[in-house]
Formats: sequence, C-alpha cells, structure tokens
Amino acid sequence: MSSRPALDPALLSHLISAQRLEDRRGRRGSGIPAIDRLLGGGWPKAALCELVGRRSSGRTAILYAALARALAAGEAAALVDVGGGLDPRRALAAGIALRRLLWVRSTVEVAAKAADLVLGAGGFDLIALDLGDARPRLPTAGWIRFKHGAEKQGTTLLVAAPARAAGSCAAAVVELGPGAPRFVADGAPLFAGLQTRAVRGRGGHEPEQQESEEARCASLAFSCRS
Amino acid sequence: MRIACVFVPQLALQAVLRRTPDARGGPVAVLEAGGGGGKARAQGPKTKSIPRVTQVSVEAHREGVRAGMTGAQAAAVCSGLRLLTVTAADREAASAALADVGYAFAPRIERDGNGTVFERIFFDIEDLARLYPAGETAIAQAVQAAAARVGLGARVAIAASKGVARLATRGHELALVPTAPGPARAALASIPVELLADEDAALAAAFRRWGLRTAGDVAALPVDAVGLRLGPTGARACRLARGIDDEPFVPRLPEDALEEAIDLDYPVAELEPLSFLLRGLVDRALARLRGRSLACAGLTLRLALEPRGVDVRSVPIAAPTGDAATLLQLARLDLARRPPAAPIVGVRLLALPARVRATQLDILRPAGPAPDRLAATIARLAALVGPDNVGAPAAEETWREEAIAVTPFEVAPLTLTLSSTLPLRGARANGCVDPGAAGETEPRLTIRRRRPPEEIEMLLNRQGPAAFRGCETTARVLIAAGPYRLSGEWWREDGNFQRAYWDVHASDGAVYRVHQDQRDGRWYLDGYYD
Repeated sequence: MSSRPALDPALLSHLISAQRLEDRRGRRGSGIPAIDRLLGGGWPKAALCELVGRRSSGRTAILYAALARALAAGEAAALVDVGGGLDPRRALAAGIALRRLLWVRSTVEVAAKAADLVLGAGGFDLIALDLGDARPRLPTAGWIRFKHGAEKQGTTLLVAAPARAAGSCAAAVVELGPGAPRFVADGAPLFAGLQTRAVRGRGGHEPEQQESEEARCASLAFSCRS
Repeated sequence: MRIACVFVPQLALQAVLRRTPDARGGPVAVLEAGGGGGKARAQGPKTKSIPRVTQVSVEAHREGVRAGMTGAQAAAVCSGLRLLTVTAADREAASAALADVGYAFAPRIERDGNGTVFERIFFDIEDLARLYPAGETAIAQAVQAAAARVGLGARVAIAASKGVARLATRGHELALVPTAPGPARAALASIPVELLADEDAALAAAFRRWGLRTAGDVAALPVDAVGLRLGPTGARACRLARGIDDEPFVPRLPEDALEEAIDLDYPVAELEPLSFLLRGLVDRALARLRGRSLACAGLTLRLALEPRGVDVRSVPIAAPTGDAATLLQLARLDLARRPPAAPIVGVRLLALPARVRATQLDILRPAGPAPDRLAATIARLAALVGPDNVGAPAAEETWREEAIAVTPFEVAPLTLTLSSTLPLRGARANGCVDPGAAGETEPRLTIRRRRPPEEIEMLLNRQGPAAFRGCETTARVLIAAGPYRLSGEWWREDGNFQRAYWDVHASDGAVYRVHQDQRDGRWYLDGYYD
C-alpha cells in the first residue's frame, strides 16, 4: 500500500480550506445567540444553508429571527412561503419589518422557480425559502444552481424544510430535534413555549479538529408570548 | 431656434411592415380599397370598389409594380410580390411610434396634422447640443436610428423654421439647412418645384409653365410679383424657396398612454394565435417606451369581438417593467383566466408609461436590489404565482387570526437616525424589534397557518379535545389548553365569527392551534406552532 505523497510546503501555504473560504465570506447574525454560537458567528453569507426540522421544532421561529435580524440591519430580505403560512401579527412580534419584506406565497411546484427569480434579481442579502411540510423533489442540478446563485449574488439562501435535501450544496446545516412543549399547569393548562435541541450538520467548524458532541449541539427555548 | 422635422415617407407601407417585419427587404405592395387615384374613384358609387396598389417598396418598384395596379396586375408583374392590406390601426400605431421618436429627444413635439394619423413631426433641438457635441449631423443620425428601432425609416431635416425643415425632408434623406437666408437658399436650391408646391398641382404646373424647374429658380423671382400672379400660396412657396418661413411652432406634451393596435382579417378564437399577435404589439409598445426611457406600468387590452362587442380588460402589473416576456405572460394569464366571450377580430393594447424609480444609495447601508431589475422580478413573480401572492405582507384590521393583506412591495429606505449607522440601533426607528437587543431572551414561536383553516373531525371528552382527524393529520391529543373564546364582526350578516380556540399537543409531537366554530359546532385546524 503506497503512502500518500506529501504536498510541497510552498504549495501547501497557498491552499485554503473550505471552512476558511467560508469565513472570508463572512457570517450574518441569526438573531438567536445560541444559533450564532453553534455556527461560529451565524449563517454564512453568499451560501446556501439548510434548516431542518419537523412540525413544532422551532424551525419557523429561527427562520423569522434571521429575517428580522437582516431587515433590522437595513438589508433586503425575501421570504418564499410555500402554502402562505405566514402569520403577520406573530411575524411583527418576532421583529420582522413586514413592509420591507418581499413575501412570495407560492405552491410547492413553483417555489424553487420563485426563489430562483428572487435570487437572480440580485441585491437581496437574505432569501428564506420556507418549504413548510412539503418535500419537493428538486434535482441536484437545482441545488447546485442555488448554491452558485447565492455565491454570485452574495446572498444567504436559507432553506427551511422537514428533511435535508440540498446535500453537499449546503454550506451550513442545522437540524432541529422534536420540540418538547411546555405547558404551565397552574389550574387549566396554558401553552408557554417549547424546547428543542439543534444539531449542526455542516459548517461552522474546522474539519481537521476533533469536536465534541456537545460543541455541535445547542439547546433552544422558544416562548409563546404573542 | 433650430427645429428638426422627421418625415416617414410611404407611411402606409411602413406601417404594414412594422406589423409584418418578415416582409422587409422583399417586394411588397400595399393594397387599399378605393386606392389607386382617380381611375378607381371615377367608377361611381354603385361599382364594386376593387382594391388597388397605393404604395410599393423599392424592390417591388424595381420589378415594375406601380401604384394604381390591381392586386392581380401587380402579382403578374412581380412573381414574389407580397400584397398586404393596411388598416387604420396600423397607421395610427405607426404615427404614434413616430411621435415617440420625437419624445425620445424632446419633451414636447408638434405633429403635422390634427388627427391620429400623421407622417411628420417637429421638435426643438436647441437643448441637444450638449448631448451631441459632434453637431447637428449626429443629432439627425441619432433620430434616424431611433426611428429605425421602432420600425420606421425616416427622413430628417434640421432648419430654422418648420416650413423650411418640412421642405427639406421632401427633397433629402438627411438635410441640415443653415439659419442664414443665403446659405439656406443654397441648401434648398436643388429641390424640384413639384416638391416645393407640395400637393398643389396647379401651382406646380404654373411654375413649369414659367420654365422653372427647381426651388432655386423660384427663389430668384421677386416674392411680390409671384404673389400678385399666383396668390398667397405662390408667395409662400417663393419665400420657402428662399429659406424664409413664419409658420408658428406649437409643440405638445405626450399623451399618458401609448397605443398599439391590430385589426384582423379573420377571427381568432384560441389563445396561442392571440399570444402571437400580442407578442408583436407588446414588443412594439416596449420599443417605443424604451425610446423615452420609460417602462410599462399598466396594460389595457381592448379586444374587438365578432360579430360585435368589445372586451376591455386591465392586466395588473405589480411594478413597472420593460420585460416583454413578463408582460406577455401576464396578459396570457389574464386571458386564460377569463377567456373572451367570442372570437377576436381586433386588438388594441394601451400601455401606461412610468419611470422606473431611481434610488439614492446609502454609503453606510447595503445597496439592495436595483429598482428596474426588482420591478421586472416582481412582475415575473406575479406572473408565476399570481399578482395577489407577491408583495409586502401586512396585518389586516380584524381580530380574525388568519387574516392577512398583501401590499405593494417597495424597497423602503431605512429611516436615517443618528443611531441608525450603529449596528442595529436604528432598528426600532424602522418598525423592527431588534431580535438581538434583548440578549439571551427566548425567541418567539410563530404559527404556520393554514389558509383557509382546514376542517377536521374532532373527538371530545370531558376536558375538551381528545383526538382529531384531518386530511393530512390524524393524532390523539395529549394536552389541550383552552378554550380561548373570540368573536367579532357581529355587524356583518355573513361575516361574523364566534370561535373557541385550543392549543393542543398532539401525539405526533406537534402543538396545533385548532378552533371550534360556535355557530355550527364544526372544528378547524388553524395551523401549528413552530
């Protein structure tokens, strides 16, 4: 068995890891400190990112927090909403400046096309593609197109879906565990919020370093104040 | 003052060629009923009017086709001849396109004539000197190029007055007539007296009788003596030949909407051929708008139906755009959604012009999307998902939880405050809640709503909901919190609501928001907390 030849040190000094390349692009705050810590500063800019979670996992709340953060920073943001599940009052409560948000209510069949149109327009710093409960069969070429489009336009394309779909095209992936609801049981029960566990699937760590399981996870708590 | 005159010779032929651009470069003749001059008209009212050739292209003229021939005669002379019929809509559209050429260079123009069909326009070019430092030749060439872009071959002349410029366009493709009388007279000297007399055949004949052949010959005569013998028209022609004219220049602002139209020889009943026709109309309208640096903010289609009737429809456009594919798609969607009641024999397209909003970039803020590209994108999105599904969401003034409104989206600039340049400090000034300002406070859950709420079957026990079944979800209820009663809009006969809401933790792990309609007892799934 032949050993791998060592790289020329001069050449090695010019190589750059994918992670460092990502860091050069920069990060945008997610609006949730725990997610920022998990991802090493937030969602990567100019990249395709995935947020995976089932119903009541806090996925939409994390998505809205990222939108709120971007809009509050004066950036342009868009939400492609499959099924049109946006609740405007709760979105306002989450900090989203609705009048500055481009909202596209689409069906699952045209959601990818709509996101591609917004991405192609350029100038949007954050585009959230909320697939809801849908699991569209987008071919790999479609995800590659999204990835290159995001890199070219300098946009963070954040896809929220019930299961991973973008594969290696996603620069960062956060997977959410099932949410544990909290009910205040003083007399009649009252829904107070839920807790969930976020696991970093991709992005935010040096691949060479051995990382503990705890460093890849974060506990999140969401409140139900309206 | 320097005035440019733009003249479109053979307007009918050029109007037809705008509609059928594939016929350009080949032998083409325009057939008109009652055309061909005196012979056709002399046949009397009871004789059936035979369409005759009125205008021919250079290629057809070279093959021997002449005005006044019948279609059969012309086809016999030239085997590859295309005989095309001109309609009033073609002429009006070509005239309107000519006007737009003028508006591309001047804010006001004057049309030569009062009707909707004209073949000549005038506009002031004094202000164009800075844009075209190369001089008037460059201006005239730019005007010709602009006319070519909307499908018109134009003659251009620049002179000190309207009449002189008009005369120069009769004799030259491109003419620059100096302001001083002497050089102006020399510039016009070679024009034949028939063109100087315009359509006054008696005046031209008189000049011929006197042995005059060119405008230079007429200019050599004393004006008073010519006026004494030939009247005011003769005196005016003599002054024109000398480069002197006192016709007032009365320019006008453009109309609000521009129009392209086509009248059909046969009825169209299907969407595909109609789309083909619309494509040409949209292309021509956008070419005119681009000439004025404008975009289309609204489309109105007037469809003439067979045998009678008009179908007028406005095609909503989310934002001004100059993208032909988008406009066509929106028009197609509208036609597919509401098909016309009868076959179509004519289409008039009214395009509402609008300026694409320019934005001032902020040195301290992200640039954001370019307004023109954003407008085109919003229009495309509207064509893709429907105009009601694109925009900025807004909360409606109602207590109904599922209510949502969509307002037009604009890239609203952030309110500039002293603190807005610091990271996120200006967020509250812009209607945002700074999500990071509260430190480690818990982020808020939202509800992914079903619109409209999905009707479900609910199994109840003593405490409340015990299990439910919907089209996608069937689950036992582990914990139920509620009811939270909500009612309102009692003043509406059919719109009032009385609901009892529950938050239920279901066996599939999700927390759902459900409600029971207190009026009929039915249960609905509003969405789930997420």
